[in-house]
Amino acid sequence: MSEVIVITSGKGGVGKTTTTANLGMGLAMRGKNVVLVDTDTGLRNLDLLLGLENRIMYDLIDVTQGRVPYKKALVRHKKVENLFLLPTSQVKDKSAVNPEELVKLCEELRKEFDYILIDCPAGIEQGFQTAIAAADVAIVVTMPEISAVRDADKIIGELGRADKENIKLIVNRIRPQMVESGDMLDMDDINDILSIDCIGQVPDDKMVITSTNRGEPCITMDKSTAGQAYRNIVGRLLGEKVPFMTFPKEGFFSRLKHVFGM
Amino acid sequence: MSDEIVRIKGTKSGLQLLFAAGATYAAIEKEIRAKLRAGSGFFCRGTVMHAMEGSLSKDEMEKLKRLFHESGVIFSVTRSRIPGATEWPVERPRRKSARAQKRPAEAAVQAEAAVPAENAPAEPAAVQASSADDEAVQMVVVNKTLRGGQEVRTKSSVLVCGNVNPGAQIIAGGSIDIRGTCRGLVHAGAFGNQKAFVVADHLIPTQIRIADLIARSPDDPQQIEKTARPERASIKDGQIVIEPIER
Repeated sequence: MSEVIVITSGKGGVGKTTTTANLGMGLAMRGKNVVLVDTDTGLRNLDLLLGLENRIMYDLIDVTQGRVPYKKALVRHKKVENLFLLPTSQVKDKSAVNPEELVKLCEELRKEFDYILIDCPAGIEQGFQTAIAAADVAIVVTMPEISAVRDADKIIGELGRADKENIKLIVNRIRPQMVESGDMLDMDDINDILSIDCIGQVPDDKMVITSTNRGEPCITMDKSTAGQAYRNIVGRLLGEKVPFMTFPKEGFFSRLKHVFGM
Repeated sequence: MSDEIVRIKGTKSGLQLLFAAGATYAAIEKEIRAKLRAGSGFFCRGTVMHAMEGSLSKDEMEKLKRLFHESGVIFSVTRSRIPGATEWPVERPRRKSARAQKRPAEAAVQAEAAVPAENAPAEPAAVQASSADDEAVQMVVVNKTLRGGQEVRTKSSVLVCGNVNPGAQIIAGGSIDIRGTCRGLVHAGAFGNQKAFVVADHLIPTQIRIADLIARSPDDPQQIEKTARPERASIKDGQIVIEPIER
């Protein structure tokens, strides 16, 4: 039973690619055969996050246009050997792939892999329509911020229009302190508007940036809070019941610092 | 076959009411009352019940309609069979209609064209039949949340069983009833009906328009609060007034 999951958001910069890389890595570390398909043609980043840029030989466009079989374009991860990347082209644009070609490719990939994760481009234009065409499950990534939630809502509507019923939500980059002080939308506000099944709440974490620059997803780092959140999401995707993380309230020392104005 | 006289089938667009062959009205009413009492939790408010036109007389249909309305179920007489409902012998003569089936309400969301506009040319004679019936038939029911960018545009009234999110629009010739939170843009009486109104469980829209009047939410987000009670917006003395209601 293989599953095609598309990771989408509408708005850019909310962490689609980061989420794809981390979930892919997490599922692979749990022993699943995983392939990550980057459909953000022209603005590819997924290879950077995985540290695989220098190993790319062929890309998605070469495969869909029939120049090479898909196996030649797959890039195996350096450390996790059951994780593969199917990168896209940096020189072409999104009109280079159409939905039928991607559906056909996913049908082939299904034979080999347990999970096929598709990293969707931002926006609701052709690139989005192509990316969602083959998906069984859609994961919508959003941020606790009004424009990201608004765009997520629009995307959920678009997914419904394309008859994608299985939609999950990940709320990324939550700042517990700001939520606490009422400066940021909290989970209740978001659930109220979007009303879809939430499978993850990822805190804002500096380690995400360092891990991105190093090409190692933060899910591999034990100390990263975001990494822990992603590990939980992977568990939930595999059908486990994992309780949501509780964010630590502002600690005693940081409050003390506030008192002394440090 | 069991000895039930009345049977209720679930279909995509609501529930379909079917009667056994040759049943009397008294027996039908008795059984419906029993069913309503037994399943008081099941028939949640806003459920749509369809019945075949011609399976009972007009007066009897009217009585049934009242009976269902008492329990908050919307009763609608349809001219053709709801897709998905299976055949069940009914002896009374029934108008087998060759006309186009009533479009499911959800399709109206996607299509720009209004539902009645499509139905009207197909059945001009029936529209004039009875104004009371028409109101029930012409209501557009949206059984899902309207999300940003989605639009319902119709000449009739609209019932939404779900939320209306920011960025969504409802433009209705009649009134708008939202069983959920309204955060989008709603325009009731869009073709000049000053008596149209908007009802929602939580009424916090970006804009309310009724007929040719516009009201908008306060600029200060602090003033926008989620009300605990359903509210109704209507025109009073030339301006839009919002008041809490019971329902």
